Amino acid sequence: MRKIEINGLTFRYGSRDRGQTEPVLKDAVLSVEDGESVGIIGANGAGKSTLLKILVGLLPGYSGTVQVCGMDVVTQNLSSIRRKAGYVFQDSDSQLFMNTVYEDVAFAPRNYGMSEAEVEERTLEALRQTGIEGLKDRHIYRLSGGQKKLAAIASVLSMGAGLLLMDEPSAALDPGNRRNLIHVLNRLPGTRLTASHDLDFIYDTCERTVLLSEGAVIRDGKTEEILRDEELLVAHGLELPLSFRFMKGV
Amino acid sequence: MSRINQAIHDIHYLDEMAERDTGLCRIHPLAKVIVTIWYVALTVSFDKYNLTGLAGMCLYPVILMILGELPVRRALVQLRPVLLVVCLVGIANPFFDRNVLFFIAGIPVTGGVVSMLTLVFKALLAITASYLLIATTSIGNICAALRMLHVPKILVTLVMLIYRYIILMLKEAQRVTEAYSLRAPDEKGIRYKVWGTLAGQMLLRSMDRAQAVYESMSLRGFTGEYRLKGMDRDRGKSRWYAVFWCAALAGLRTFPLFEAVGRMLGM
Repeated sequence: MRKIEINGLTFRYGSRDRGQTEPVLKDAVLSVEDGESVGIIGANGAGKSTLLKILVGLLPGYSGTVQVCGMDVVTQNLSSIRRKAGYVFQDSDSQLFMNTVYEDVAFAPRNYGMSEAEVEERTLEALRQTGIEGLKDRHIYRLSGGQKKLAAIASVLSMGAGLLLMDEPSAALDPGNRRNLIHVLNRLPGTRLTASHDLDFIYDTCERTVLLSEGAVIRDGKTEEILRDEELLVAHGLELPLSFRFMKGV
Repeated sequence: MSRINQAIHDIHYLDEMAERDTGLCRIHPLAKVIVTIWYVALTVSFDKYNLTGLAGMCLYPVILMILGELPVRRALVQLRPVLLVVCLVGIANPFFDRNVLFFIAGIPVTGGVVSMLTLVFKALLAITASYLLIATTSIGNICAALRMLHVPKILVTLVMLIYRYIILMLKEAQRVTEAYSLRAPDEKGIRYKVWGTLAGQMLLRSMDRAQAVYESMSLRGFTGEYRLKGMDRDRGKSRWYAVFWCAALAGLRTFPLFEAVGRMLGM
């Protein structure tokens, strides 16, 4: 079953009467199968974050067709879509708003009316999957950047979402936390869509990559093939990933 | 520590206090909210000259401070800015009400002075009761209790978001002032010419972050209803807590305890 199906997606911020007519996404086409791990790469302003936000219904008013888990992304389906698709914000501080890690991770299951026993089971499982069981009683503002990122991912996993949408997950992480996040993500089951311009991170976590440039899908294929194509990357405001540059040098 | 930093720290401190595992924190939030509302209503209902009657109402915050293991000095320090405003509230009364009520050592005490003291005292007690509620109950649980009392969803969400928004705004204010002071190291404060620009920047940035927080909540199924941990524990104790305090406070309101004690001691 296809988790994501996008056809002819065009989106612009603002309204025509205010003169903001340049679309952020232009006739984009994308499909993601169940269990796939797909990276969305592109320079700043390529439309990566916009694409993810459209998928969870945060940006209405697009044209084209967008389906998530077999449902059109329209107001009446948003509740069902959001139960199945978890969105991890670029800025974890915006995502985590409860007092403690446990309370934040338990927020979604409680909102979905689960019993306290089930809430606890799901919360502890999400904390275990992200390796932060030991932080469950820690106050959010006492967490480091890497711990906040893992808590943000756990807060989405506890919903039981089979589709994980992540916006720049490796941003502002030190090498150790970045490596830890890669390990955590590679162990997670389900479908993942990761938007990032950290190409080494994409190489480590995604088997398929989609290159976006000025709102259009330029290339869609195997991660290694796309990330090795220096000419393509440079033409669209990116660079060869560090690991490939190193190998090239050797 | 800067004043903004201190304010952020104070809010986090209150959050941590509310999460403790004390007897008072374990009481059902609905019981605590009902008692607080009842207490505030009774406190403000005292006559403007009934200062001695009002003194009896001090028992509630004093007992709660002890039960909740709350540091009194820290509470007073945290309430300091509000207390200043409270003192300003009744400051005009002595000028309008010059009717002499009694004399103390030959000095006439006017109705204005007594009513000012009563007003300040009432505000002080009401604010302390609210502080005690926040220091022993998390904001989420207070919102859940308000929903149980059928306070409209929109108002409760507003309370929740304002509380979160204060923290976001303070954090943005901290960033803006730090960025300013790093580029204007010789200035002691912020030049008044850039106040408007900085305030506008701060507002826009905190609004963006508040929007992101709201999006994060709605993406995780938030519809304005609060289902939080610990809402069903200690129900029996909580019921007795509410009954006891509602009765005790009603007793303090109708029976002038301090006057009676004074009479018994022959004062």
